[in-house]
Amino acid sequence: MRVGLVCPYAWDIPGGVSAHVHDLALALIKQGHVVSVLAPAESDEHLPDFVQSTGRPRAVKYNGSVARLSFGPVTAARVSKWIEEGNFDVLHVHEPLAPSLSVLACWSATGPIVATWHSSMDRSRVLQSLIKLARTAMEKITARIAVSESARTTLRHYVGGDAIVIPNGVNVASFANAQPMSGWPGDGESIVFLGRMDEPRKGLSILIDAYPAIRQAHPNLRLLIAGPGDASDLLNSLSAPDRASVTCLGKIAESDKASVLASGSIYIAPNTGGESFGIVLLEAMAAGTPVLASNLKAFERVLAGGQSGVLFNNEDANSLAAAAIALLSNATQREQLRASALLRVAQFDWDIVAAQIVDVYQSVTLNGNKVRPDLTGQMLGRLGKLRITPEKGEL
Amino acid sequence: MLDTWILVLIASLALWYLSHQAGRLDRLHHRIEMSKATLDTNLAKRSGIVLEIANSGLFDRVTSAVLAQGAHDALDDDDLTSFSRLETENNLSELLRDAIEAMQPIAQVEQNLEELKLFSDLENVCNRVVLTHRFMGEAVDDCLAIRKLHLVRLLHLAGLAPLPAKIELDVVPPEFPSIR
Repeated sequence: MRVGLVCPYAWDIPGGVSAHVHDLALALIKQGHVVSVLAPAESDEHLPDFVQSTGRPRAVKYNGSVARLSFGPVTAARVSKWIEEGNFDVLHVHEPLAPSLSVLACWSATGPIVATWHSSMDRSRVLQSLIKLARTAMEKITARIAVSESARTTLRHYVGGDAIVIPNGVNVASFANAQPMSGWPGDGESIVFLGRMDEPRKGLSILIDAYPAIRQAHPNLRLLIAGPGDASDLLNSLSAPDRASVTCLGKIAESDKASVLASGSIYIAPNTGGESFGIVLLEAMAAGTPVLASNLKAFERVLAGGQSGVLFNNEDANSLAAAAIALLSNATQREQLRASALLRVAQFDWDIVAAQIVDVYQSVTLNGNKVRPDLTGQMLGRLGKLRITPEKGEL
Repeated sequence: MLDTWILVLIASLALWYLSHQAGRLDRLHHRIEMSKATLDTNLAKRSGIVLEIANSGLFDRVTSAVLAQGAHDALDDDDLTSFSRLETENNLSELLRDAIEAMQPIAQVEQNLEELKLFSDLENVCNRVVLTHRFMGEAVDDCLAIRKLHLVRLLHLAGLAPLPAKIELDVVPPEFPSIR
């Protein structure tokens, strides 16, 4: 089957949606499908063969954080060209509400279109006017998928219609074989945090608030922080000995994630909101590290209501400290959680998830009904084609 | 003079809006037709696999005969919207559930690979029938949301296209014993 995947966010900037599209593309290719991904990218270097770039994205504030998106007539022309040349059996767009490639792709294509909703949004964050504009694109979508119940609720409330839930996938094997970084977890216990340090919704400040209390109960405790951003203000609020037990890795490569996760006695996810799924929880579970997470709905679901990990009250540093102290003192419980988590995470392995997605593809395709360019939706593209000619040398 | 231009502008905007709505409706009707055809195809595939299973000797003679009859009945009727076709498809769904429920757990019966493949094909196609039925329902919902609009009804923007309706079908798949 020829599949065209559209990722609205920059390919070379780490993010949940682009990681999902990347892994899905690999899983589909492994199953023998022909895949082409269309995505914005900062630079054309180091792009895999199956990715086609629409050029540099623009930074836009969207859904509470900065997103790098792609739009405009030139981009629209590239989208149409990709659809025309791709001769796809199915077009699979991701996050179709982001004002970017996915909407453009829906507008400029006709035929079997599948869409996946990733994020959960609050009403205040959803741009109502954008939804009106995008509705004509939404109507062309044959099958809707949501990665989580909260993403599904967002879709039902703000756009209308329903979706089937197919979760995010994890490459279980690549995490399960991960070796901890040398010297970790070490003699004492250790805690791992992963995420943007200066993004309040990732909750690092709550962990830092709780950290002195946890370290009082476990004096040999160390904290490993990995993620982009600047946390010096937060860390300077700690006492000198506490501060000395914190290791800050800064931004890490995607390929090092597994070994960082495996380096902790426990992994803590103190996120305060804005999480629709919690993929990194699954990754920690696959790496064999017990998970302690805030009781966001999405996290509760991933942890099977607390069976495959421990939950604490969201935004409550005391509750976090108490739960962490208990979990660090109880090796038997950690072992039980590890075993339960490995069973749980197997349901989210990409091989299984991709097979479910292929089922959807096969339910929308019909012999001879391919994805074709939509002439009525191409007005923007036509304008762009006129303007794209002088740039040809540069392309 | 200016008045005339404003009138022309308003009129052309109104015309554009109406043709835009008509275009939307056209696309939605097309989507319903496509999803209906996909549902029809998958139902036919299901009947085909049921016939194969009935001929494979996986079930006892009586069950096989009943399943084969059910699949034939479903294949005989072409019109997916006709009452008789829905009856036969619902009947087949029920027969399948009964047959699979009464089956021995697969691990106990030594099955060869070909027979296991038949079962996994059946499981897949039943799953796809559920999905296609659902996608068609969603297409009908999307279309009805526009067909309801006063302007669309008043100006007959949908032309002669009949009001779309969902297909009430029993698509509940049998509970397959775990094969893997």
